[in-house]
Amino acid sequence: MANQSNSIKSGSANVSRWVIPGLIILFCAIAFNLTTQFDRVPEILKRGIQPSDFPQLILLLLIGLACLLPFENTQHNRPAVPPSVFISLALMVVFVLLTHLDFFIALGCFSGMLSFSWGERRLGALLLVTLFFPTFVFFLFDLVFEVRFPRGLLTNLWYG
Amino acid sequence: MLLLLIVLATLGGILVGALPGLNATNGVALLLPFTITMEPIAAIAVLTTIYCAATFAGAITAILINTPGTSASATTCLDGYPLAQRGEAGRALGMAAVSSTIGGIISVLCLMAAAPLLAGAAYKFAPPEYFALTVFGLSMLASIGEESSIKSIMSGAFGVLLATVGIDLLTTVERFTFGMNELTEGIGFVPVMIGVFGIAELLTQAGQLGIVRERITLRAIQLPSKADYQKTWKAILRSSGIGTFIGILPAEGATIASMIGYNEAKRWSKTPEEFGKGSIEGIAGSEAANNSATGGAMVPTLALGIPGSPTAAVILAGLMVHGLRPGPTMFTEQSTFVFAIFWSMLLVNVLFFFVGLYGARIFARATLIPLTILWPMVFLFSMVGAYALDQSMIDVWIALIFGVIGYLMKRYGFSVVSLAIGLILGGMLEKRLGQSMVMLDEQWWLIATRPLSLFFLVLTVLALAGPFLLRKIKSIKS
Repeated sequence: MANQSNSIKSGSANVSRWVIPGLIILFCAIAFNLTTQFDRVPEILKRGIQPSDFPQLILLLLIGLACLLPFENTQHNRPAVPPSVFISLALMVVFVLLTHLDFFIALGCFSGMLSFSWGERRLGALLLVTLFFPTFVFFLFDLVFEVRFPRGLLTNLWYG
Repeated sequence: MLLLLIVLATLGGILVGALPGLNATNGVALLLPFTITMEPIAAIAVLTTIYCAATFAGAITAILINTPGTSASATTCLDGYPLAQRGEAGRALGMAAVSSTIGGIISVLCLMAAAPLLAGAAYKFAPPEYFALTVFGLSMLASIGEESSIKSIMSGAFGVLLATVGIDLLTTVERFTFGMNELTEGIGFVPVMIGVFGIAELLTQAGQLGIVRERITLRAIQLPSKADYQKTWKAILRSSGIGTFIGILPAEGATIASMIGYNEAKRWSKTPEEFGKGSIEGIAGSEAANNSATGGAMVPTLALGIPGSPTAAVILAGLMVHGLRPGPTMFTEQSTFVFAIFWSMLLVNVLFFFVGLYGARIFARATLIPLTILWPMVFLFSMVGAYALDQSMIDVWIALIFGVIGYLMKRYGFSVVSLAIGLILGGMLEKRLGQSMVMLDEQWWLIATRPLSLFFLVLTVLALAGPFLLRKIKSIKS
């Protein structure tokens, strides 16, 4: 059992030691490739540097630093990501999908579901975050800050 | 009207600082969209007020529930909570309020004196000097990461890279826009700030749901006794000086100031053995330092446009959103604006003394708000705030994406503060480099031949090498 736990921990350490620098270098390589496709401007218009020069400089710096990362003496065995984080992330996906119906329906549903998934069971509290608080925020921003929200099932009722 | 806003912002700031998980930086980031419709002077006065008040209020939760409301109050826990356990929570909070007020006022007076002087000196800066100064500002990120200097610099460089997204204003060439019209103006500061400070913290809190906090009841706040003042006045003054100086250094904020202030209070104390067990000097040293760092941090922010702390970086973003560009010219062209900031900071330091003393009992109750109610509300504010700025859904998606990126960065030891500062300074860095290249006939190495530029570049090398050298010295010593 202890061996299994140790191997999980060393697996986690390997993720931060090798996989993360690897992913960063891959990201930078892709971004660098994109910079080579930027338009180049004539010498007279370039004002000191070409548009691709500065991003390329930063990307090279990032690649260089990523290469140093595995040799740093700060590798940690991080605890596993708790299920509640994955649930919260999944709810964010639901939020994104629901925004196609209505921004405030999405916000209310997300708030209620997040609260419930984090252990809230009191009806009053759930109503507060699902219904009352989103309504308050909507009218605060609409009437006081004059923000016009995207049209949807609910907001159409107000905007007509 | 402005006075009323400052009073409301003080109450809001204390509430933000007292809520575990929220701090001055994410509080200012979340409330930034509320200021969009305000006049620039009112908006920035509100943001700086929240900054000062939230920094102070971190002490309330530090003392009462042994959980610093802000990271700058972490050292206050060491002595505040033991005092509270002994039934002296009121005395501890009283000392926190007094030392915070004194530290805050001293630092604002220094800000009033130093910022115009620094701005005057900065008039002599040409693009190469500004470029070298910005590089120095970014190099200071090496020391703010919790885990690794390299990761901190990488986070800053990632922020600088993000600043290149959009149309290059000098050449009108599109960069990293992927044909999306919404990205042609670049990635907005506000949605990124909301993402990395608000949404990322929500995900972090999701992983800490099981933590139970013991809360100590507060009967009454009391002003420190004469004996307390006699014991702590030197520590308060020393920490105020330390905090102001640390605040002036680019990127270094209240957290580092409070640590140094606390350590120095212990080093000079006649009773160092009491530290960690409920020393009133410990609270004074920590709180005077973290509040004085707020005024110090505004010196480079206003005079040079280089943020002096993570929260100052968000305030800098707020200034830019309102069309203002901090720097030497602001002191001559918008002096009313600058003095409004000075006076609002001075006022808030007096206000939170009274609110802190007489309202701490009420604000302490904020700690009772369950996470299951608080964080859904924070999410709602974050999303509406991200949308409200440009009334564009792309900003909502950017906030969400950077929320996830910020969470992953924090999990693997990368600093989200560095990312935010890099994003803010990135545009200026590229612009100054381009101008320097034109000025120096594309011979970039000539930047190092100018005395002031060389001075900043030497400081940069020291800032980058410092953490490694310190680690080496420590390992040799041990």
